[in-house]
Amino acid sequence: MTDHERYRELAGPYALDALEAEQRAPFEAHLAECATCRADVQAFREVAGALAHAAPAATPPPGLRDRVLREARQVRPLGAARTPRFPWIAAAASIALAIVAGYGYWRGRTERDGLRGAIATMQAQLDSADRVVATILDSTVGTADLAATGKAPTMRLYWNRVRGLVVVAAFDLPPAPSGRIYQLWAIKKGQNPVSVGTFNTAAGGRAIVTLPAPAGLRPDLSAVTEEPAGGSPQPTQQPFLVGAWQGI
Amino acid sequence: MRNSSRETKFEAVASQSDRALVERLTAGDDRALGELYDRHGTAMYALAVAIVRERADADEVVADAFGQAWRTAVRFDPSRGSVAAWLATITRTRALDLLRSRGRRARALARAASERNDGLAAPLAAAGDAPDRGIEREEAQRLVARSLAELPDVQRRVIELAYFGGLTQTEIAAELREPLGTVKTRMRAGMEKLRGSLAPLLSSEAS
Repeated sequence: MTDHERYRELAGPYALDALEAEQRAPFEAHLAECATCRADVQAFREVAGALAHAAPAATPPPGLRDRVLREARQVRPLGAARTPRFPWIAAAASIALAIVAGYGYWRGRTERDGLRGAIATMQAQLDSADRVVATILDSTVGTADLAATGKAPTMRLYWNRVRGLVVVAAFDLPPAPSGRIYQLWAIKKGQNPVSVGTFNTAAGGRAIVTLPAPAGLRPDLSAVTEEPAGGSPQPTQQPFLVGAWQGI
Repeated sequence: MRNSSRETKFEAVASQSDRALVERLTAGDDRALGELYDRHGTAMYALAVAIVRERADADEVVADAFGQAWRTAVRFDPSRGSVAAWLATITRTRALDLLRSRGRRARALARAASERNDGLAAPLAAAGDAPDRGIEREEAQRLVARSLAELPDVQRRVIELAYFGGLTQTEIAAELREPLGTVKTRMRAGMEKLRGSLAPLLSSEAS
């Protein structure tokens, strides 16, 4: 029996995660150099994936949808918390976009895909900057200035209830230590703080981020705490920035 | 009965809009997450219950799984399968993690499967009336149920113990008190048969 024949038998159990660790490692080494086995694994992965359909029907409890959305709002998706240095980023991105587009004109085809990625990234940054501008420049926006006792850091918040977005502009706030993150809270007097979301600042101590506004909430105050990465359901520390909302 | 070209179009539209939802997740749009829940929440919940067996644990698994989908939507790769398959993988992994963290290792499932010859495939006859199940999902369920039912019981059981129980071949052999070589042979043969009988489903998922 050749190596390949011996390994080929493992593709099915591998796709079911049923191999022991000591079998898995050599099989993965074989996969790296065997296209036939890679194709087998891909097919068996789809077989394994289809087994999800064999789960007996079950109806989720009515509150689960709200729980899913509430827990998701505590964190930002990867890659979504871009922090454009409004308004310069928009101008800079436009210029860079033009340069990239011109550059792409005469470069070879292999580089074009990479450039397309760069353009998409910049387009995303432009969209993000647009969203910040549109959220702030609405007539119905409430604002809050958050300050610490002492001078720095400071923060200005814009709450756009029509769009359901909060823009956070932070200055002179050093990035949170490794494994920690800043979390913004909205507080209605007499109620528990509601998480608006988490953010971090760049090396210059600045951040401009857009967070989804908790629906139906008209907070009196906002506050910022430092929390473990991923955020906390309720503040675990005293807030270091606090401020009152106006015009919300 | 629908004709096959209409179904294909229907599936294409469904998977297209699934992908659009995932793109909106990467932009931080949590309304898209709500829509994704409305489409796939019931199926993910059913999968979670099948693995963890406790409803409260299944709630936690589904909330965690959607949280992970939300955070890591940017990593979704359509060339590796459908959004539904991606969500199922996340849900299964989370559910097995939860079992392991509680030291349960799916003994309950192993017992249930040993007691009943028909394993998990039997209750499928009752499936399919939940509100978010589309036509294409019902057809996939029927095909998977039929394919599993066509397997010899001993082959189906080792595959179910691996997929829903998260057991390795060695653990399955211990659980069923069978020689390891027997378990390996059954799993391999069962997976080969499923690969053949599920072929219509797989080609459409991969495209």
